[in-house]
Amino acid sequence: MSSTFRIHSTAIAVAALMGTAFSAQANLTNPEISLVLDGHYQSGERALGEREEGFALGHTELAISAAVDDKFYGKLTTVLESHEGEIEVGLEEAFIQTLAMPWALSVRAGRFLSEIGYLNNQHLHSDAFVERPAAYRAFLGGHYFDDGIRLNWIAPTDTYWELGTEVFGGDPLQAEGLDHAETVGVYHLYSKWGGDIGLAHSWQAGISWLRNENGQGGVHEEHAEDLLDDHDHDHSHGAEFTGRDLFNVSAVYKWAPGGNYKYNHLTISAEYFYLDSPFAGEEHDHDHHALAEEAGADYFDGWYVSGVYQISPSWSAGLRYGQMSAGLMEAHGDHSHYHPADIKETEAMLAWHPSHFSTVRLQYSHQDVHGLDHADDHQFTLQYVMTLGAHDAHQF
Amino acid sequence: MRTSFKRLFACCALLLAPNAWALNLFACEPEYAALAQELAPEARIFSATTALQDPHQIQARPSLIAQMRRADLAICAGAELEVGWLPMLQMKANNPKVRDGLPGMFYAAEQVDTLDRLDSVSRDMGDVHAEGNPHLHFSPQRLLRVAQVLTERLAQLDPTNAEHYRANFDDFSARWLTAIPVWEAKAAPLHGQAVIAYHSSFRYLFDWLGVEQAGDLEPKPGLPPSTAHLAGLLALTEQQTIMAVVHAGYQDRRGAQWLAQRAELPVVRLPFSTGQEGIDSLFALYDAVLEPLLAHVGE
Repeated sequence: MSSTFRIHSTAIAVAALMGTAFSAQANLTNPEISLVLDGHYQSGERALGEREEGFALGHTELAISAAVDDKFYGKLTTVLESHEGEIEVGLEEAFIQTLAMPWALSVRAGRFLSEIGYLNNQHLHSDAFVERPAAYRAFLGGHYFDDGIRLNWIAPTDTYWELGTEVFGGDPLQAEGLDHAETVGVYHLYSKWGGDIGLAHSWQAGISWLRNENGQGGVHEEHAEDLLDDHDHDHSHGAEFTGRDLFNVSAVYKWAPGGNYKYNHLTISAEYFYLDSPFAGEEHDHDHHALAEEAGADYFDGWYVSGVYQISPSWSAGLRYGQMSAGLMEAHGDHSHYHPADIKETEAMLAWHPSHFSTVRLQYSHQDVHGLDHADDHQFTLQYVMTLGAHDAHQF
Repeated sequence: MRTSFKRLFACCALLLAPNAWALNLFACEPEYAALAQELAPEARIFSATTALQDPHQIQARPSLIAQMRRADLAICAGAELEVGWLPMLQMKANNPKVRDGLPGMFYAAEQVDTLDRLDSVSRDMGDVHAEGNPHLHFSPQRLLRVAQVLTERLAQLDPTNAEHYRANFDDFSARWLTAIPVWEAKAAPLHGQAVIAYHSSFRYLFDWLGVEQAGDLEPKPGLPPSTAHLAGLLALTEQQTIMAVVHAGYQDRRGAQWLAQRAELPVVRLPFSTGQEGIDSLFALYDAVLEPLLAHVGE
């Protein structure tokens, strides 16, 4: 994948930037610099997960951002990941955004996180659990970022209403084995609403339709057992399962007594993904017609529900249940088989927050996995996530 | 895609009704909503927070983005008080008026000399701000200075009503300058008293009245009171005469109560801002913050 290249563990250019003094306030000569350190010990691995067994690093993020001038804002987020002894440098964000467009419009261009769903546009370090839900890992590669452009609009209403559209190259969501891939593959339309009910309750809801011109796959020339091995070796951040249309509905509810988030608050979120037409129809598949002996599923789907409660400023606890069902078409000589794959996942976590900037988390995950190898039924993860430098403003 | 763009634009055109009436003011904290009320009573004023919410820890909620989207002017304390949420509102509201450095973004802390400025900030100091303490609304002189600059900002944004804003300021200024010596005379017995308080929330009040904050319930700014730290404060109460343990309405009273019971001190809960408990103006806020402190002098 073009977004990820490998270097051996030599010093890298970004390290030079870390020598720059952390700024108190961002301005033109003094950009905001922040660094996220993330590491863990894990007793096993999750199906389609990014975190390795044993001691390993998660996303080490270095982000630099500032207003470019009075018209544009720019941000760069580099991610360093360690995989099997090698260090990978990824570029997760490198975008510009308009600051001065009229009519409450804004354009973002470059590489950025898509607005699909509730979690996708949030950075991994602000997550309450050590990995994204199974549906995210399956259909978006954990978190979907890509090269493209976004236009969005905010309505002049008391109730928050955002309408937006994104167009991306679509490489991370491209199906395997395409003869001809469109250079502009992904079109995404979304809308989000939100508001407060009294002082204590807040909500947000969203719907998304992501059209993927390169999402319909044919037949895998390999065995399903190789899928996870392949994932480890390539470590492409692409989605494992793709299709023609990906729909998402999401809802978030937050509660804090009197709206005072200092001591206690509750966050409940739920999302549903529906991936339509994962396999190409026969009319597009004359060459492989002989192979298409067994029909695949018409759709894949997945969902999760998550609840996180901040017990005190220093402690939070959460529960999450999620599942996803999908499948692969595999070639065996002159015929093909459909292999269903599904994940059911129950997770519990307890996190200690010594300050706003540091978290140590213990998580237990139970997985019930079919059709995907290398997954352990039970995993314990002990993880730290710490941020240095500029104080991050978090999304709702 | 082309048709959906057209629809989007048609949709925008319909909703862009002319907005010729009074200014839309977005106040980050209720004290600045109260100040705006004095200077521009005809404006549509929205307060992002209440006196019972910790202004450091506000969520960048959709409702706040929606309000920020329509604001002509945002009035905030600054000095990084809102660093965890205001930049996100600015980024997501798509409102070119309220960018930093433009007339539509007003920071009170930039208009005055703040207390406790730091040349260098390290995270092991806790959640401190290099630009000084942002809770400056309990300094009557600083607040007056903020009001003066804010008046000119309103005049700049809405020149047709400039004289109106200046007249409102003159009226506010006259009443405020009359009230200051009255408050000072009333608060004279507090001079030289020592208190233990939660955070540096009342730094400017104590500075103005000559009250010493001998201890802080927070071990470091932004960190919750710990048992070890409270035990240290208990030892302090044996060495020094402390008048009371003080906390604001949005702060948990358990730490204060733990200490107060053992040290046999009164717990004083002070209102932190306007808009709650019948406090409808900055004048009422100052009255309400002095009353409970005076009740415990000499106990």
